Amino acid sequence: MTAMADQQEATTPGTSRERSRAISWALDRAPFLVACLMLVVIVAIYGTLQRDVFSLEEINLDVTATLTLLLAATGQTIVLIRGGIDLSIGGMISFGTVLAATQFGSDPGSVLLWSVIILCIGFAVGALNGLMISVLRLQPFLITLATWSILSGISLIILPTDGGQVPAFWSGFGGAQFLGLASPVWLLVLLMLFWFWFRSTRLGIAIKATGSNEKSAFLSGVSLTRINVVTYGLSGLFAAAAALYLTTQTGAGSPTIGKDYILPSVAAAVIGGVSLFGGRGSLAGTVIGALILTIIGNLVFVLHISSYWQPVASGVILLLAVLASSIAEKAARSDEQ
Amino acid sequence: MDLLEVSGLSKRYGGIHALSGAEFSARIGEVHALLGENGAGKSTLIQILAGAVRHDGGTIKVNGALYAPANPDAAHAAGISAVFQELSLIPDLTVEQNIWFRRETLSPIRTVRRDELRRKTLALFEKYAFPALRPDQEVRRLTLAERQIVEIAKGLASDPAILILDEATSTLPAREAEWLLGLTRRLAAEGKLVIFISHRMAEVRHIADRLTIFRNGTTVGVHEANAVGDDEIVAQMLGRKLDRLYPERVPTATDRIALKVRDFSAGRRVHDAAFDLREGEVLGVGGLQGHGQRELFQALFGATRSRGQVEIWGKPVTISNPRHALIGRDGLALVPEDRRGQGILLTKSVRENLTVSVIRRFSEFGVLSHAREQALVKEMVDFLRIKTSTPEQLAGTVSGGNQQKVIFGKMLLTEARILLLYDPTRGVDVGTKGEIFQLMRDLAAKGYAILFYSSDLPELVHVADRVLVMRNGEIAATLAGVANSEEGILRAAVFEAAA
Amino acid sequence: MSVFWARNRLIVLAYVAMVALLLITARFSPGFLSESNLRSTLVLAAFVGIVALGQTFVIIGGGIDLSLPWVLNCAAIIMTLLAGSQDLPLLWIVPLVLAGAAGIGLINGIGVALFGVPPIIMTLATNVILQGLILVYTGGSPTPSAPPLIEYLAVGRIGAFPVIAILWAVLALIASLLLSKAAFGRHLYALGTSRTVAEFSGVPTQRTTILTYVISGLTAAVGGMLLTGYSGQAYLGMGDPYLFTSIAAVAIGGASILGGSGHYIGTVAGALVLTILSGLLPALNLSSGALLVVYGAVILLTVAVGSETLSDLGGLLFRRWRRD
Repeated sequence: MTAMADQQEATTPGTSRERSRAISWALDRAPFLVACLMLVVIVAIYGTLQRDVFSLEEINLDVTATLTLLLAATGQTIVLIRGGIDLSIGGMISFGTVLAATQFGSDPGSVLLWSVIILCIGFAVGALNGLMISVLRLQPFLITLATWSILSGISLIILPTDGGQVPAFWSGFGGAQFLGLASPVWLLVLLMLFWFWFRSTRLGIAIKATGSNEKSAFLSGVSLTRINVVTYGLSGLFAAAAALYLTTQTGAGSPTIGKDYILPSVAAAVIGGVSLFGGRGSLAGTVIGALILTIIGNLVFVLHISSYWQPVASGVILLLAVLASSIAEKAARSDEQ
Repeated sequence: MDLLEVSGLSKRYGGIHALSGAEFSARIGEVHALLGENGAGKSTLIQILAGAVRHDGGTIKVNGALYAPANPDAAHAAGISAVFQELSLIPDLTVEQNIWFRRETLSPIRTVRRDELRRKTLALFEKYAFPALRPDQEVRRLTLAERQIVEIAKGLASDPAILILDEATSTLPAREAEWLLGLTRRLAAEGKLVIFISHRMAEVRHIADRLTIFRNGTTVGVHEANAVGDDEIVAQMLGRKLDRLYPERVPTATDRIALKVRDFSAGRRVHDAAFDLREGEVLGVGGLQGHGQRELFQALFGATRSRGQVEIWGKPVTISNPRHALIGRDGLALVPEDRRGQGILLTKSVRENLTVSVIRRFSEFGVLSHAREQALVKEMVDFLRIKTSTPEQLAGTVSGGNQQKVIFGKMLLTEARILLLYDPTRGVDVGTKGEIFQLMRDLAAKGYAILFYSSDLPELVHVADRVLVMRNGEIAATLAGVANSEEGILRAAVFEAAA
Repeated sequence: MSVFWARNRLIVLAYVAMVALLLITARFSPGFLSESNLRSTLVLAAFVGIVALGQTFVIIGGGIDLSLPWVLNCAAIIMTLLAGSQDLPLLWIVPLVLAGAAGIGLINGIGVALFGVPPIIMTLATNVILQGLILVYTGGSPTPSAPPLIEYLAVGRIGAFPVIAILWAVLALIASLLLSKAAFGRHLYALGTSRTVAEFSGVPTQRTTILTYVISGLTAAVGGMLLTGYSGQAYLGMGDPYLFTSIAAVAIGGASILGGSGHYIGTVAGALVLTILSGLLPALNLSSGALLVVYGAVILLTVAVGSETLSDLGGLLFRRWRRD
């Protein structure tokens, strides 16, 4: 597939071809729909092997296990829609867990204070990333690679090996239930509500616009600096949130845990239909992608095969998702003018 | 007092004076045309007015008050809105999202109110009798013409007092262009000022009240539209007589057919095209924009897929990739439409650009010879009179006309004797235009076969030996001799041939 | 002169940085400039340099290779497993491993060039798939130690020079010639600058892209096999640090992450800078965490120095200074 096809511009006069609206709608969302299909298939397979898969308990378990990745991937989704990438979340997550495990103490007030501080640091560091990208006009890949390294290093300095601790009430968060659903599930609900709100705000639309065509957005008066600062700031914020949640699961801090979330956060988003080129995608897709990755892990366990098959399956699914979206793109493009 | 008064305006880009002491004034309720060659300063003026660029000297007054916008937002606040040639739409947003971008009505929780968006869009469409367009369609699915219409809607969304239209009809088919022309009169009747830039004299006469002519960054004439003749306008625009622009046309075509095309189709845009291009001939391709010309050229070059029979110098060939086309003397070369995106490596030197297609010609056993490369470069720079300080100069810092010459040089070095030139003089200054026309005729005299597309009718008429007129993806007519006139081309482009 | 400077400014700066670092480290660590220490620095840098060779080609072409870590690791594991600490089998094992690595590179390249999969995703996927497959195959159990020949290549010496440094020099020469003096290099720079323009100019873009990923796979495999000689055996995760360092070395060496510019000579400087920096650790009593911070800061610094904004600013200041 050559890049030349990308250069085809609309030329035919008159109104655009009247394809069935339903087909247009489907093609526009093809990657997301494919992801949904994959999830259904995987869950179906899982359902034949494991009892009680379609139960509240299973949902609780899976969401609880996926939420760290999901929080990290939320920030990454926003950045990808902007057309960038954030590798520094790896460092931020490590840093967040390290700070939490060493500073929380046992007093709820201190825990609250430090949680807020960690979230603020997350946003600030991200905003700094965005600032450097805009003002110095540097590539997101390299900038966030550098800040990832710096944050990882700071984490190691503060806490050289896994350790520290968090108070009992904090690590009990995951187990708390409300109306039969675990608190992580409620967090997910909150997250989706946030998303549906955010993407309809002017800012959310501006971020999507900038990812879709940076030049047009600029010509239309969008401040690229402001967009970058907010986008990467949010990514840092969600990475910090992911760190906080992670400590409720692990009960400790780890200076190296973050790097295991960087690429999966991108993978979850891409599987869910977020375009690496920017301008397209939704958190709903990322949620589907993250769930797919988690349930593959469950499947591997339940099939009693070596857990080493999990990364293989994840990789294959990722490729399939990208190929599917690439085919859908081509179909949409031949339909499009 | 006029609504808009520009006096002594100047703007420099490095050593180039885009504007020096330009004057311009326009009134409420007027359609005022701005004319001038590419590079005369029109674009710079309107970029300054629209807040995209800051001027260096001079003053601008809107309603008597000093006007110096820091950015496009400030321009909009002052009631000035511009629809540029370079579209500023967001492909992944819908039509209505684009029109009201950054100006959406918000709900109490600061989300965009989609119902309001729809209502305002439909109201706008209705008020100005817009051509049919679905508000909820993603812009990336729209044709170029439809995007232009959305861009116009976007310009009107802020209800500006001054609307600037830069070559807005160039991508519109006849009916929509008519609509736009009517729209400008309607806006003027409403008390707005419409500044209209166009190269199409007929349109300008149709709608303008007055016209201002720019040349070399200054104003050279202001006229009532119906009180000045075409010749005088053109003379002021060019600063010299028209006929010196085009070279003398000496018949150089032989009987040998260089490129024979039959049943040629490409995607949905080109159907069963058929023509012969002869050795020594300059064959023009015309017709309204968007009728398959670009696709024809790109498909012949192998940049896109095609079906059909193509013979080069009598030998059947299949070209599915530019590499199959650029094979030396029996090959076919393309100077593409988009200089910056398809033709030039902006961050590489002129030398590297010139030689990128012919690396084999100066490498032995895979090792490049610096000396041979320099020789090839010198040959082209001298032949085409490419103006650079040294061949190591970055191609991105060289003028548009010279960049075009570099692309020519690149293709000439491949030794292909069939040249496809797509709008070779677009965005090129007048002086270099003349050079390019002369080059085309010189090459034809040497036995090259040239197929060239131009959106400019006079160019086709004066430079081409024959003209293929494309309509709806087919070659509707072939005009030669007396029939090769502006009127003849237009008529073939627009009307069905008599049965 | 000014043309040379304009084209190679960033590479020269990288070497200046390297020398400066050398002197600073020597200041804090008196034994640093000793022959044996310089030698071991060179050896460590060679590993980074060899692996980063492939990455250089891929990045210049506008892509990126995230599959280095596990191509490296797989090569190391498979070689040691099959060789069983013997030299003779290497005759067929090394070509086999190299062929396999080239095959992975081919897959990466085909995915990127023919199917349009973004390089980040394609190489990420092959990386995790390789990781899973090799772990399934070996069950995570350790492999035999490296054959003596490999150890010799990794840590042996010819006279005063480490063998691996000589190997590195040879590879550097080949890479540099490919980039500067071969048609392939020209095609690569054009492709990395603008794929569309390259295609319209008749450059064989698909073939060139695929070749870069094949080269990357090969150098990762070479690096992996040699590494077993250095550490004595293959171990899980031995390739992970090399992803960051290979990209950092290329970036410090002045290549644009977007492609179209840079040279392996620069990457060599980058590899040396990174290695010398890590030698600063014990000298300054820095922890490994501090090293990461320094790495990050160095990347930021080099990219900022190489950036448009700063060079515009620098030029402005320079001209103003000249005028006064």
